[in-house]
Amino acid sequence: MIELRDVTKVFPGGTRAVDGVTLAVHEGEFCVLLGPSGCGKTTTLRLINRLVSLTSGAIAVGGQDIQQLRVTQLRRRIGYAIQEIGLFPHMTVEQNVVTVPRLLHWPKAKRRKRARDLLDLLGLTPAEEFVRRYPAELSGGQRQRVGVARALGADPAILLMDEPFGAIDPITRERLQDEFLRIQREIRKTVVFVTHDIHEAIKLGDRIALMKEGRLIQHASPSQLLGQPADDFVRGFVGTDRTLKALRLTTVHEIMDAEPAVVGEEETLAAAQREMDSRGRSVLPVVSTGGVFLGWICRSASSETDLVPVGGRITPYLVLGSQGMPLNEALALMLESATGTLAVVDEERRLIGVVTFDRLFEQLRQTYAERVASEVES
Amino acid sequence: MLSTTWHYLVGHWSYVGQLTLEHIRIVFLANGLAVVIGLALGIFVSKRGREGLAELVLYVAGILLTVPSLALYGILMALLKALGLMSIGLVPVVVALTLYGLLPILRNTTTAIRGIDPAMIDAGRGMGMSEGQILWRVRIPLAVPAIMAGLRQAIVMNVGIAAIGAYIGAGGLGQLIFRGIANTRADLVLAGAICVSLLAVVLDVTLGAVERLSMPRGVRKEGQG
Amino acid sequence: MKRHLVLIILLASLCALTGWMTSLGRVGFFTMAPSAKLLSAVEEHLQIVLTAELLAVAVGIPVGIALSRKSLRRGAPVLSAMTSIGQTVPTLALVGVFSILMGLGLRSAIVALSVYTLLPIVRNTYAGLVSIDPRVKEAARGMGMSTSQILWRVEMPLAAPLVMAGIRTSTVLNVGSAAVAGMIGAGGLGEIIMTGVSLRLVEMVLQGAAPTAALAILLDRLLESVATTATPRGLRLSLRRGSP
Repeated sequence: MIELRDVTKVFPGGTRAVDGVTLAVHEGEFCVLLGPSGCGKTTTLRLINRLVSLTSGAIAVGGQDIQQLRVTQLRRRIGYAIQEIGLFPHMTVEQNVVTVPRLLHWPKAKRRKRARDLLDLLGLTPAEEFVRRYPAELSGGQRQRVGVARALGADPAILLMDEPFGAIDPITRERLQDEFLRIQREIRKTVVFVTHDIHEAIKLGDRIALMKEGRLIQHASPSQLLGQPADDFVRGFVGTDRTLKALRLTTVHEIMDAEPAVVGEEETLAAAQREMDSRGRSVLPVVSTGGVFLGWICRSASSETDLVPVGGRITPYLVLGSQGMPLNEALALMLESATGTLAVVDEERRLIGVVTFDRLFEQLRQTYAERVASEVES
Repeated sequence: MLSTTWHYLVGHWSYVGQLTLEHIRIVFLANGLAVVIGLALGIFVSKRGREGLAELVLYVAGILLTVPSLALYGILMALLKALGLMSIGLVPVVVALTLYGLLPILRNTTTAIRGIDPAMIDAGRGMGMSEGQILWRVRIPLAVPAIMAGLRQAIVMNVGIAAIGAYIGAGGLGQLIFRGIANTRADLVLAGAICVSLLAVVLDVTLGAVERLSMPRGVRKEGQG
Repeated sequence: MKRHLVLIILLASLCALTGWMTSLGRVGFFTMAPSAKLLSAVEEHLQIVLTAELLAVAVGIPVGIALSRKSLRRGAPVLSAMTSIGQTVPTLALVGVFSILMGLGLRSAIVALSVYTLLPIVRNTYAGLVSIDPRVKEAARGMGMSTSQILWRVEMPLAAPLVMAGIRTSTVLNVGSAAVAGMIGAGGLGEIIMTGVSLRLVEMVLQGAAPTAALAILLDRLLESVATTATPRGLRLSLRRGSP
């Protein structure tokens, strides 16, 4: 849908803001441009709708070279959302939302309906009330929603978003991200989204393009980025964020369940099933008589009446954790494991604990809450 | 035209100097009065419970400022004559300039006095200051920079308006301009205009420096840091 | 409510004074201006003010727009220097210079006044346009508005309050300047005041001065409400709340 081929932007004065970037974003894909400030991610975004002109290379949108299109035409085909300030303060919410449809001379009735549909979609209800309001009469989160609605105004296939949730408080931001994910599942736009926030990138992106000094360093899925960072920069960036840093400073040992429910390999499937029910779990580790970790037994593999031993139905493990492992690595491993649970073993592969997503998230939540608290204080 | 203007200024420097002094005298006299009246009125109306009055006084002062100078001179001449006072010359001009100078001073005084952090006032009360002591030791010192800014604005504005006062016999640099118009002598008009502009600029700069000095030292430091 | 009352009382007493002075008819050796003459003087006065203002607006707004464009921004410091010096030059001097250059009469008065008015209009238009949040313009550009669409649909509505404020203040100032122009034979209410002063006839001075004051106050209030109407509602809200 969007193709960047060897794209370079040199600003007058010689700054190479974007340097030989080649990147393809497929139809319906959510691509996040991630990187520290000054890495060229915003410039890359603005090259796509020609708010910045190319120095060399080529960009194609829907198979057409963007240089061949009239610039206003190109922009009217692409939704564009920036931080909330970009709303027109002298226009009502409705006028803001149908800006592009007006430029495209949609009939009035169609515009009216479009504005109301979009406000409904974005949860600004009752839409009939919101259409008449002005940006000054909205909260920060509401303005952000109007900004997204405006970008969707003429139902473009492509959305460019430049830190659209950047200027709001963390809690509202979280909620807007969730809602935007829901909407995106419904409308399946091709999205290019700029952020410097790794959490936002991991949460929203199908794929993440990590940039540094104008160059594309790694273009991969979130779990690949976390699990197989291409180089030290990626590793560092993934880890420089405060929450992840906190994760890195915490070891598996500190949060693991050191007395996990286990199933012996000779126990029956029925017994395993009872154990799962009583613990409220859908997967349990299986150990040998010597306490060595063998693999997992899942609910689907058992039934209450089965009296066969679990030994034959074990799901093999793909990854193993150790006590001293930092949590960010554990998280990356868990994303790859089949069960979403990490077994922690000692040198003899004896099971000494289990890390579940619940426990990890609890840790993340605490760190996050502390971070929010410290931000509120400062 | 500019060179004849220059020759005139050089040739008649003592006369021009005397007119300038007259001009300064009118402006300073009027603004001195405006400060006294503006401060007293400003302090009076910014007391709590007089918000409505303050608003009204500022509104009237605002209207006064829209009245053209020549019209205000005229109205004052009639008023002074009705009161049996000097209706021509210095008096109506000084009264008019005082009225014009009131608004900036009054406005800045009231907003500054009312705008002071209530915590500071509470602190004063908590230490056992009387209302009068709070006014003189806390409110007014903190409001001085704003009052000075208002005064500066008033003075610069009045320098230009005073020029027209020459027409009703108040003297000052306006005389040069009027004589120039009457005798179609551009050099006189320009000489007058240049002197008035220069005077306004010089007073603006000087008063700007005074304004900075008038800030209580603590406030100045805070502003820098 | 109190405000309106004050305003009405003030205007009413100015009008009453004018009427009273006109009704005096003869004072000593002199004849006051008859009411027909007074009315035509008001008309002339308004004509000078409005013509000068329209000229200044017609020239000043395009110049202000041009200066705010990126390629011409370098001219802006010159503009601000000119404006701040221009403000210290008394109207009287400008009226005088133009009367000498162009001769006495209405024409030079109008030119002098529009030159005097030009600077605040240019400055306010420029200031209104450059103070717009660049992100708003960027959003407009990003959505595919053409340059002229951005100017007319986004920039000018947002600059409207400042432009209108410039027009308002300069119009009110011009009522006074037009009175001063009376001395170069431009007619208007200034002529009546000037005649009164030279005859030392306070009654006639008042006969010209009172309606001049009323005119200035009236135009100021009128243009204030026009300015409020010209400000887009959403903008009024955001100005009141201090942020967009």
